[in-house]
Amino acid sequence: MKLLDIVRLIFGNLNRRKGRVSLTAVGVVIGTAAVVILVSLAIGLQKNANEQLYGIGDLTQIQVSPSYGQGEVVYSGGGGGGGSKSTSASASSSSAPGAPKLLTNKALEDLSAIPGVMAVIPRDYMMGGLTLKYHRLESGSNVIGIGTDDLSSLGLEATQGGVVLAHGTVIIGPMVASNFYDPNQRPGQQTPAAPDLYDQQLTFVFIKYDQNGNEVHKTLTYRVSGVLAQTQGESDWSIYMQLDDLKVLNEWAMGRRINYNKDGYSLVIVKVDNVNNVLDITDQITAMGYQAYTPQSFVKGINNFYLVLQIIFGGVGAIALLVAAIGIANTMAMAILERTREIGLMKAVGATNRDVLSIFLGEAAGIGFLGGLGGVLIGWLAGYGINVIALVYLAQQSASQGGTPPSVAVSTPAWLPVFALVFATLIGLASGLYPALRAATLVPVQALKYE
Amino acid sequence: MQTPFIRISNLTKHFQMGGTTVRALDGVDLDIPQKSFTVVMGPSGSGKSTLLYLLGGLDRPTSGQIAVNGLRLDEMDENKLALFRRQTVGFMFQSFNLIQSMTAEENVGFPMQFAGIPSKERTRRSKVLLEQVGLADRGGHKPSELSGGQQQRVAAARALVNNPNLILADEPTGNLDTTSGIGIMQLLADLHQSGRAVLVVTHDPRMVRFATHKVFLLDGKVVSETEYRAASLE
Ligand SMILES: Nc1ncnc2c1ncn2[C@@H]1O[C@H](COP(=O)(O)OP(=O)(O)O)[C@@H](O)[C@H]1O
Ligand SMILES: [Mg+2]
Repeated sequence: MKLLDIVRLIFGNLNRRKGRVSLTAVGVVIGTAAVVILVSLAIGLQKNANEQLYGIGDLTQIQVSPSYGQGEVVYSGGGGGGGSKSTSASASSSSAPGAPKLLTNKALEDLSAIPGVMAVIPRDYMMGGLTLKYHRLESGSNVIGIGTDDLSSLGLEATQGGVVLAHGTVIIGPMVASNFYDPNQRPGQQTPAAPDLYDQQLTFVFIKYDQNGNEVHKTLTYRVSGVLAQTQGESDWSIYMQLDDLKVLNEWAMGRRINYNKDGYSLVIVKVDNVNNVLDITDQITAMGYQAYTPQSFVKGINNFYLVLQIIFGGVGAIALLVAAIGIANTMAMAILERTREIGLMKAVGATNRDVLSIFLGEAAGIGFLGGLGGVLIGWLAGYGINVIALVYLAQQSASQGGTPPSVAVSTPAWLPVFALVFATLIGLASGLYPALRAATLVPVQALKYE
Repeated sequence: MQTPFIRISNLTKHFQMGGTTVRALDGVDLDIPQKSFTVVMGPSGSGKSTLLYLLGGLDRPTSGQIAVNGLRLDEMDENKLALFRRQTVGFMFQSFNLIQSMTAEENVGFPMQFAGIPSKERTRRSKVLLEQVGLADRGGHKPSELSGGQQQRVAAARALVNNPNLILADEPTGNLDTTSGIGIMQLLADLHQSGRAVLVVTHDPRMVRFATHKVFLLDGKVVSETEYRAASLE
């Protein structure tokens, strides 16, 4: 039998039972529409999340910190020289699993040797307290000592001045200025505007406590040689200075010398040439015994979450489709009972079992296909409608609360309607399998005599 | 002597009905030559339809052999039987078995779909055949718009559409009034004249005048005309 004839016969047969076929197809329409809408919603949510995530940091960076061994948490407060003597001693004596892995200069060389690593930049935090002063204004801030003179190697750019650090200068994030306040401000007085700090002298008041608990101060001034462009990350609120400058301050704060080569750095930024290599290199660094963190693993986790959401949402739609499948199976079983004599006749005039099977399978698949077509259309239109309504609402929300409005609420990729249509057709096919097999294997004479 | 067109030997067909066995055919031997007009007669339940369906490859015998044109039906698989029905046999039934949703022309053309004949050729041949059975102007009508006699003519045209050598008709006049019945008998006689073997199961004694061969069935067995007459008188 020719394919075109089969198709024509199938749609002719569906056409003569319009009422029942469309009632059966409604179930498929609902299921398919549910699949399309729900999966589109999950994809839309993911797109939004990724848009919001965009600012979580440079995705080509890995933050590596030392590992201090299992159970033996001696790490105290994030200082480069913060580790105790016993920790550093065991570092040189042993490299067994569970032993501490410190970020010494030798370790930095090992990290640089990994293929795909562009730069290895140590950094450290400020020990002790700090108050910033600029004229009458004061502020606290996050000071980072960075082991490179060129901040562009961290992917940072400047809006004022440059990104090259010199001894005695600092480069500040764009939000640092807005942290300044007037300590003598009286209630009702107007808050002063954020000062323009570029090329200004900033006074740093460093604070530590001696053995007796008395505050000890040390005051230094630094020139602001650059203001960074916004990244929506840590750098926005940070002050960068040379690692050597910070080391001197930390030695003062702790009252002892710091030997990075022996104690190791507390944090190292590993800059990777390509986003696609980041997870791989992160794994290599972890295998070397260090702790490695990349925002990408976070992004990956989020994406996995949305993938699971897509599967769950798709599953809900699929359940609706399964219910529809039972409807199709029922309709087909009824049709075969009613058309038993017709099946007998088909066989009497020379139809093979395969012809009969194809026709009835085709009718079941046809119901799935027609329902799928309707469902895809409705799902797509509904998604479009939801977008129009939701975006108006969300735009109002972000107008009143700040932030960028999301660009989509529901996102339907091109593969989804195609997949849903194929899936609905296959569901129809599968539910027609048993009835069609029964039809195909009827004994012709019994089918002809059937009343 | 050459082998006959149809050769049936020691054919039985049993049906299990609950605990009892119904011997619908009980050891039938029969030879039917090429281009014959055979009338099968017998009381209701004597196994006439069963014999006809076995001959047409619509059912399988319990035992025995059927050969048509030298082909053994009892040894064929489902696909070969389908092919046999498509190429060699044309059926006519008491209740016509037309598809109600199709026009007369579509009903006539229906079997050709399974033979893979292109749609244009199907239409052409259906028109010719409808004209041949005297329904040239009824091609667009549905069965419900035709009389019983006309419906059986459509069925006859359908039986002829693949140009079979053997026409099998199971009480084709059973549902028709006298005039229509005679018309159908004449049609079958014409088919026989055109060189086909025709086998008709009937109660109707008027059919006998067209017959070249007569077969009498009693309780699943072939009997002579004398035995048959004797039994009918009782
Ligand atoms: N499918 C079947 N199941 C059981 N018995 C059957 C079946 N078909 C026919 N028979 C029995 O076989 C016998 C012959 O039937 P049939 O060939 O239809 O007779 P006829 O056509 O001569 O009236 C009858 O007794 C009938 O009841
Ligand atoms: Mg009968």
